[in-house]
Amino acid sequence: MIRNKHVAMTLTVIALAAVSLFVRDAYSSNLVTWMAIAALTATSLRFVSLIGELNFATAAFYGLGAYGAGTAVTLLNLPFAVALLAGGVVALLVSAVFGYITLKTKGPYFLLIGFAFTEVMRILYTRSDWLGGNSGMVGIFPPSFFGAYFSTFAVLLCGAFIVLLYTIERSDLGKVFMAIRDNDNVVLSVGIDVHLMKVACFCIGSFVAGIAGALHGFANNVISPGDFGFLLSTFALAYMKVGGEDSPYGPITGAVLLVGLGSLAMRMGAGEHVFYGAAIVLAVLLMPKGIVGLAGVAASLGKARKSGKAGNAPQLRTKEGRSHG
Amino acid sequence: MANTANVLAETRSLTRRFGGLIAVSGLSIDIRKGEILGLIGPNGAGKSTTFNLISGFCKPSSGSLFFDGEDMTGKSPVTISRGGLVRTFQHGSLMRSMTVRDNILIGAIGALKGSRRNERLTRVNETAAILGLTPYLDEVAANLPHGIQRLVSIAIAFAPRPRLLCLDEPLTGLNQTEVGTTLEVFSRIRRDFDCTILLVEHNMKAVMKICDRIVVLHHGQMLATGTPQEVRENESVVSAYLGKRHGA
Amino acid sequence: MQTALQLIVTALQIGSIYILFSLGLTLIFGVMKIVNFAHGQFFTLSALLVAALVPWFAAHGYGVTLAYLFAAGIGVVTSVLLGMLIYQFGFRFFQRDLAGSFILSTGLVLLLEGAFLHYFGGAVRTVPPLVSGNVNIFGVNLTSQRLLLGLVAIMATGAMYWVLSATRFGKAMRAVSIDHEAAMLQGIPYKRLAFQGFAVATFLGAVAGALLAPISVITPVLGSDYLVKGFIAVIIGGLGSVPGAIIGSLFIAMIESIGGFYFDPSVANLAIFVLVMVVLLVKPNGLLGSR
Repeated sequence: MIRNKHVAMTLTVIALAAVSLFVRDAYSSNLVTWMAIAALTATSLRFVSLIGELNFATAAFYGLGAYGAGTAVTLLNLPFAVALLAGGVVALLVSAVFGYITLKTKGPYFLLIGFAFTEVMRILYTRSDWLGGNSGMVGIFPPSFFGAYFSTFAVLLCGAFIVLLYTIERSDLGKVFMAIRDNDNVVLSVGIDVHLMKVACFCIGSFVAGIAGALHGFANNVISPGDFGFLLSTFALAYMKVGGEDSPYGPITGAVLLVGLGSLAMRMGAGEHVFYGAAIVLAVLLMPKGIVGLAGVAASLGKARKSGKAGNAPQLRTKEGRSHG
Repeated sequence: MANTANVLAETRSLTRRFGGLIAVSGLSIDIRKGEILGLIGPNGAGKSTTFNLISGFCKPSSGSLFFDGEDMTGKSPVTISRGGLVRTFQHGSLMRSMTVRDNILIGAIGALKGSRRNERLTRVNETAAILGLTPYLDEVAANLPHGIQRLVSIAIAFAPRPRLLCLDEPLTGLNQTEVGTTLEVFSRIRRDFDCTILLVEHNMKAVMKICDRIVVLHHGQMLATGTPQEVRENESVVSAYLGKRHGA
Repeated sequence: MQTALQLIVTALQIGSIYILFSLGLTLIFGVMKIVNFAHGQFFTLSALLVAALVPWFAAHGYGVTLAYLFAAGIGVVTSVLLGMLIYQFGFRFFQRDLAGSFILSTGLVLLLEGAFLHYFGGAVRTVPPLVSGNVNIFGVNLTSQRLLLGLVAIMATGAMYWVLSATRFGKAMRAVSIDHEAAMLQGIPYKRLAFQGFAVATFLGAVAGALLAPISVITPVLGSDYLVKGFIAVIIGGLGSVPGAIIGSLFIAMIESIGGFYFDPSVANLAIFVLVMVVLLVKPNGLLGSR
């Protein structure tokens, strides 16, 4: 059963990559790249939600990844693969420190401090002249042998990390994360260091967000502080929510849909923000389980229902209720 | 008086204050190896606080706590659990959204961190068998009846094979038959796994039946201690507590 | 000494806006256990309406004061109505669901900011002050408008305190904030209370916006700027705590005042963030938050 789900996801990634090979014009190809990056970012957000926290600092680590990779390439002249990894590693290291301190808090406090951290990082970039200050960094180019196939590379890379995150989610480690979300006192009582586990989950998610940010740098060729504000986290949240947070395919679906529709909206002159805002509001009010959730309900209506096998997935650690334990 | 070699855990003048309220005061009890010790008392007597103090979920205001000769005062819940003391919680001591198998797995992971997946799965299956949960392994805990959920919470706590198992009202909401089977499980655990059990319970009949010794708490202090017989005949206990109701 | 006084006065000015802002945020959290990211939008809408209508009224022959009062009245009422609409069709269904309500509010931020940009344009506006001239207190110079703002903030704070401790409404709100289920069992009309709490919070935000209009430059993204600080004030003080919101706001204002004077605003922002981290390290639920 487990092996089947992995195979299914890996095949999906390969299929999507194959599709991207046929997307030839520059605009659409670029769009595919952005969809891949968006999907990875949203998946990173969903991964941290396994411990029941809404990680609003996703944008901060995405930004660290971008600046890390950008610095590696433009200032240190390191090769592409190293730079990409460097972005992830920078994000990882900072997330370890940040997470260790802030994961002692939960729910709204963790959320808001992630938000504040994002804004502070943005200010730091603006004040750092060696990073280009307010104008940002330019000249972040992927190696030329990619040519027009960078989008396929992006799909494969992001897909690989999404599969990796999924593997962790289904492993025993993933179960520990989800148990923490459900009832962290019980997990503590059997001798598992809950705080360390939360930090681990957070670091893994942030590393991946850093990789996504690094890819952003190479896809856009220029980065500036304004790219990495809390709005980015909000978009990631939109992808996850609209696509459906219960399924690993949710963030992918949401990202592809919203990035695609968003670009359409932009071409028609409508405000991008209004579009995303409306999408989020509608999704939250009308489709709480997201598109994938709707699809799931539709599918189960077709089959005979098993008794009460409804989705019992607990909410993020933000729902008030009787305290456990 | 207990022989020190016999003592698995003890508290010395354990006190816990919450602002002006004294929840537990000067509590000195010992838990002997291999026994089933009952902790009883009316609501508000300090039983939950005592549990929290012993398991590290609450730090004492004064006094100390020893487990197997080691000073565990003020240590974290993780340290104390890894030392061999595992406790359950009064309400919802399980992960409702996960299957029974995954629930027990969490307990197994706690103890068998470096081990291979097979060892953990074996431990899960063995634990489930002891608790009679084998038919329910693939069910999501939230869908199961209350009595089974209680067993699951005990299974989670027992999976790491603790030396001291602290159960917070494990029999609440169980019917006669379920109480009977659960008590048998306790006996089996104690006998076959060298496990000492500390039990907080309101079900007096069960307490009298299964416990080797009983500690009675009242207003945060120890009112009496002894065998079930001794406690039942203790006048202060009778007037303060037992006289009012005869359990189950 | 003079400098110190000046800094304190500046801090109090800045702080008064943050107080009005954070009182609303903490009230909503206390009663509904949700985080309303869109709270800044009521503030912005009110300020924008004032900025747009005062010139219009003035052009129609009303004196500045009257024009301002009309505009402020319209601004506040419109904001509160918007808030009620959003509550009725949105937040009402997400009480105690922090993730859901937060996500909803982020969507609203995007939507509303976009709408404001569209209808009011991105141009920056200024408004003539309600009361003009300066005032001298202990040798420190202060515009009368800012003094008025400070006075209103003090009055609002005092009113909140009184309401929370002396009125039935206030006591009910506190009960709900501490233990929602127990409060329901006592027969406290929880839903009505949530509605009223949300209304009061929105009102506070709208009033702050109307008062700020003559002092600050009004842009459609104004709300977001104050939002960050307002939230930080509330984290430091502890979500749900009124005294906490005030202490947090004053802390931040003090740092901004000092930091802005000796260094520059962005250093001040950094310092504020470090402060938050330190506070949360020691008290994960804020200084006065419930454990």
